[in-house]
Amino acid sequence: MGGAEVPVAKDTLIGKRIQKLDAPDKASGRTRYIQDLEVPGALHAKILRSTQVHARIVSIDTSAARALPGVHAVITAADVPWQRPIGVAKDHLPLKTDRVRSLRDEIAAVAADSEAIAEAALKLIRVEYEPLPAVLTPGQALAPGAPLIHPEPRGTGEGPQLKTSGASVAFAGKPDNIAMTFEYAQGDVVRSEAESDIVVEDVFRLHYVTHCCMGVSGVIAEFDPGGNLLLHSNTQVPFLHKREFAELLGIDPGRIRIIQPPIGGGFGSKLDIYPFEPIAIFLARITRRPVKLVFTREEEFIASPTRQPVLLKLRSGCRKDGTLTFRTVETVHDNGAYTSWGATTPFVMMQTISSLYRVPHCKYYTRAIYTNNPYAGSFRGYGNLQATFAVEAHMDKLAEAVGMDGLAFRLKNAQDPGEVTPQGMHFNSCGFKECLRTAAGRSDFLRKQAENRARWNDTDPIKRGIGIASMLHVGGGAKIYPSDGCGTILKIDDFAHLTLITGASEIGQGSETVLAQLVCEELGLPLSAVTVINNDTDITPWDVGVHASRTTFIAGNSAIGAARKARAKILGAAAAKMGLAEDTLGLRGGCIVRSDSGEKLFELGKFLRGLHFSDRAELVMTTFYYEPPSHHQDKQFKGDVSAAYAWATQVCEVEVDTQTGIVRLLKVTGAHDVGRVLNRLGIEGQIEGGIVMGQGYALTENLMVENGVVRNPNFRDYKLVTAPEIPEMDVSFIETMDGEGPQGAKGVGEAPAICIAAAVANAIFNATGVRITALPFTPENVYRALHGAAQPPVWNDAA
Amino acid sequence: MSVNCDIAFTLNGVKRELSVPAGMSALEMLRERLGLTGTKYGCGEGECGACTILVDGATVNSCLMFAADCDGRDLVTVEGVVVREAGERLRDAFVACGAVQCGFCTPGLIVQASHMIERDHAGDEAAIRRGIEGNLCRCTGYRKIIEAIAAAADVTTQGAEHGRS
Amino acid sequence: MADIKRYAAPTTLEEASEMLRAGNVTVLAGGTDLMPQTRAGRLQFQPVLMNVRRVPELGGIDDQGTMVRIGALVTITELLESQLVRERLNLLWQACNHFASDQIRNAATVGGNVCNASPAGDTLVPLLALNACAVLAAKPNGALQLRRVPLNGFFLGPGRSCRVPAELLTAIEVPLPPAGFKGEFYKHGTRPGLDIAAIAIALGARRDGAVLRDVRVAFGAVAPTPVRAPRTEAAIEGRPVDAAMLETAACTALEEVHPISDVRASDWYRRELIHNMIKRVLMHVGQL
Repeated sequence: MGGAEVPVAKDTLIGKRIQKLDAPDKASGRTRYIQDLEVPGALHAKILRSTQVHARIVSIDTSAARALPGVHAVITAADVPWQRPIGVAKDHLPLKTDRVRSLRDEIAAVAADSEAIAEAALKLIRVEYEPLPAVLTPGQALAPGAPLIHPEPRGTGEGPQLKTSGASVAFAGKPDNIAMTFEYAQGDVVRSEAESDIVVEDVFRLHYVTHCCMGVSGVIAEFDPGGNLLLHSNTQVPFLHKREFAELLGIDPGRIRIIQPPIGGGFGSKLDIYPFEPIAIFLARITRRPVKLVFTREEEFIASPTRQPVLLKLRSGCRKDGTLTFRTVETVHDNGAYTSWGATTPFVMMQTISSLYRVPHCKYYTRAIYTNNPYAGSFRGYGNLQATFAVEAHMDKLAEAVGMDGLAFRLKNAQDPGEVTPQGMHFNSCGFKECLRTAAGRSDFLRKQAENRARWNDTDPIKRGIGIASMLHVGGGAKIYPSDGCGTILKIDDFAHLTLITGASEIGQGSETVLAQLVCEELGLPLSAVTVINNDTDITPWDVGVHASRTTFIAGNSAIGAARKARAKILGAAAAKMGLAEDTLGLRGGCIVRSDSGEKLFELGKFLRGLHFSDRAELVMTTFYYEPPSHHQDKQFKGDVSAAYAWATQVCEVEVDTQTGIVRLLKVTGAHDVGRVLNRLGIEGQIEGGIVMGQGYALTENLMVENGVVRNPNFRDYKLVTAPEIPEMDVSFIETMDGEGPQGAKGVGEAPAICIAAAVANAIFNATGVRITALPFTPENVYRALHGAAQPPVWNDAA
Repeated sequence: MSVNCDIAFTLNGVKRELSVPAGMSALEMLRERLGLTGTKYGCGEGECGACTILVDGATVNSCLMFAADCDGRDLVTVEGVVVREAGERLRDAFVACGAVQCGFCTPGLIVQASHMIERDHAGDEAAIRRGIEGNLCRCTGYRKIIEAIAAAADVTTQGAEHGRS
Repeated sequence: MADIKRYAAPTTLEEASEMLRAGNVTVLAGGTDLMPQTRAGRLQFQPVLMNVRRVPELGGIDDQGTMVRIGALVTITELLESQLVRERLNLLWQACNHFASDQIRNAATVGGNVCNASPAGDTLVPLLALNACAVLAAKPNGALQLRRVPLNGFFLGPGRSCRVPAELLTAIEVPLPPAGFKGEFYKHGTRPGLDIAAIAIALGARRDGAVLRDVRVAFGAVAPTPVRAPRTEAAIEGRPVDAAMLETAACTALEEVHPISDVRASDWYRRELIHNMIKRVLMHVGQL
């Protein structure tokens, strides 16, 4: 499916700079995001959040709030005894019953005529707490006698108690504070370590950051008189969430419709259900009015999921000829108070540990531990930034130990096309080595590395450093759900206007444009002839969702499939009409043409009208569901989980001011194995944006969680990268023409963010001789590390 | 709730009269009272620039401005910027250069960039970077935004090298 | 948020002062501090919100011979665009060039910055170094009176100043520094402007042969208020700019600052920055 066709026609759209279809509206301020939507008669909802990190709820008095004019409903858990738990482990009730476990916990909610009234009502709600000892670190959570965060079961029946009749529970409760564990092994690390000539070990600490989508979270819930739910939601997984919400409400999923307004940023933040959505639904049900709930920015910082913070211990080994032998990883994931996707980042992390470069022996172990801290969700890269940070630090260390330069060491261990890793990943197309050579070559890596090192002890306090790192990520979907597919419905009307109905959501990454581009390529139509419909579960066919950088690959192949069926139908009819062989005809420039000469036979619109208004009236309407040829992992996490894999190498050049600790990212030279460039404008934008997101993770962003409290829930003190700070960027695309990818393309959405921090760490070492194994590299942290005043991460066996 | 103030001002070239609570922000007035949702709420604290509008020819964060302070002033929002010739060119440059992804920050940037070009503060890469330092974007990495502004201002910038493919 | 009972927009200084005399007034100028602080509940509105932006006596940048009068309503952008400020009060100009963002600069006023009295206020540090003076107007007995208070001594603590509620800041008067005076403003951060300084330094002096004279040193974000550093100045004044003097100046500076640890930086780091950066700034100003 979708492999590169033969010689590219000169009027091909592939590789061109295609303008994003919705950009004119967005740039004019016409686009209506969820915050902008006005639903007639809607009430405005606000949530009362806990003021305690860990406490028993003694009482909640909502009487004064209910009495406030303009208030339609005030609800607590007592008002929704039928609520069911949500989230990845179903340990999370939307409205908390007897306990709060973190500072963001939702205790009550108000629906009122205006936001101002709702906020005023919140202030009138009286809550009595009995504080409980707070568990602030995984170490504390595992200590003997530690308070248990989730001892009790959470039911699917009425309320949180397990029915004595043995009714099924969504969440069984935990006897300790361990939320999840993950174990993976390949080969024999013990033997391999014994046979290694070099072994290095480090502890790495990866910190809390958060998505900071420019559009804050919001939802609009509305029931019709028949009890059917219409949800305006920015979910990235509308079809999965239809089922989740149905379960939550105890209704048939067919009675839920989700419409996705244009989104103000996703980055993985919208792959789980968070309490605010069910709460809005509860209010809508109770008030029988539409309910709109929008966060403030402060609420966004406090109540949104974070990236998974990780404490990681890595032991790596190699032989003296530079061949990697083993990696052993143990991590502690601070799971926070409730379980979201952050706990499952090991799925991705173990892939990097086991397969980024050729490593025959590997052992991986994660424990995700409950605490009273904020919980982590999915975030662009999904654990890969954390794992790559560790792996690439050791690639440099091992290289140095065996006396090889960092490029040669990496090339020696980089995989080639056709390899199958011990974890079962088939690297069909693989441009890994080319990425390494290209990035290193274009950045003059080796020469600069040596030059910088020579300046370690000179008197200039401003040092320069250059560092290299690579990444591996899925590029052809990820078969973690029963299906990793996507459906397309396509129709072409009497005027050759095409409507592409796709299950794939647009989250700002340009999926709608690239899908339109792919079908136009098949059908010889201009982009202006396409309308894309992608945001209504009543209309669009199933897609698992926007995650794992899968959309171009999977939705692209799905769209191509539907387009090729349409093409076959049109050319078949034309061939029959002309008495020609179908394979002598083509579609180009809005016409049916002879393939060899380009001679126009029919103008497409006219032909379609002829087809429609004939005795055998026919419209061109086709469908296609594409399921990638990947496999579910087995219980040992082995299997070819993606239909393709993607690589990138990034070289980062930094300037370090040793008197202030300020690290400036001067230049990023990247080489990305993308299979094939489809929309050149779109892919450049993805890479550039990902680089800067990686820069933020490495240098400027830090969600300061202390004693369970987010100390900087605002942009003043949570530093996103601003325009004056961005680096010079040199990006190369390595086109390995993946056999399964649409026109040879692979997924790239997450890749550019993944190895920046790792490369920057190596660059700081190259500049200063100091290896810092904890993020972020903010000025004070770097200064402390350079001047012996840091607290390097320590592995705590009890934690 | 606070007292109401009667104000009269020009909005996108049209005279308006309104009564607004003294504590209301200009951003709230635009979005909730006047139905102009192009100007966005990003943070409410003047740190992100999503709410940028022009007041008497200079850009400000409308979330920090009191609606009452609009009295007697000349306001232009993104809706008003893009229907002027220079604003249209700027918008077309944003589209052509790929400077729009999720688009949430875009209106604020369009307004800010139009002001920069008007005041001749978009003369080179460095000036453009400084000029948009108060506008946060999470999607694009700013590179193509800088290029779009440069294109609209008819200047050249360092660009990003997008090499072999 | 407390209710505002009355909104007023006086058009003369007399009118504004009269309202202040009546009491219970919150003054609104640019709003760039007032709006976030009241929304966050850090400040409560008084019953009267008085918008002073239409009072003409509060505007203007005037060269008055030996002194520049900067009206309280002058925006940071106006300061940046003033040739007079750029050439003759360059230390202040540099701070304006590192002040937030264009959108904020277009609305924020120097009067607001001074009355907000933040220990990290960007314009306050160079104004202190330039020996600026606050001009306060009031009508205690029915007649308009002006009172001048040197900024060195004007700030009492975070958010607190000598201004009494009945007074309105009308202008900042900045004596023109001597000929040959040059200075450097350093604000610590990774961004040109959109940062609250972890530390700020303003150092100005006039070269006299091999030594520096008329030395002024001021620090921000390292004490409850922005501060002048007289002992550091004395350690520099009249001494040759060499390694020994730099070290002495740096050590003396550490004695004159009392940084705290907060979400932006630890006290330890602030001290390191003061030590390292006063040397760097001094080297630049001393053309080492």
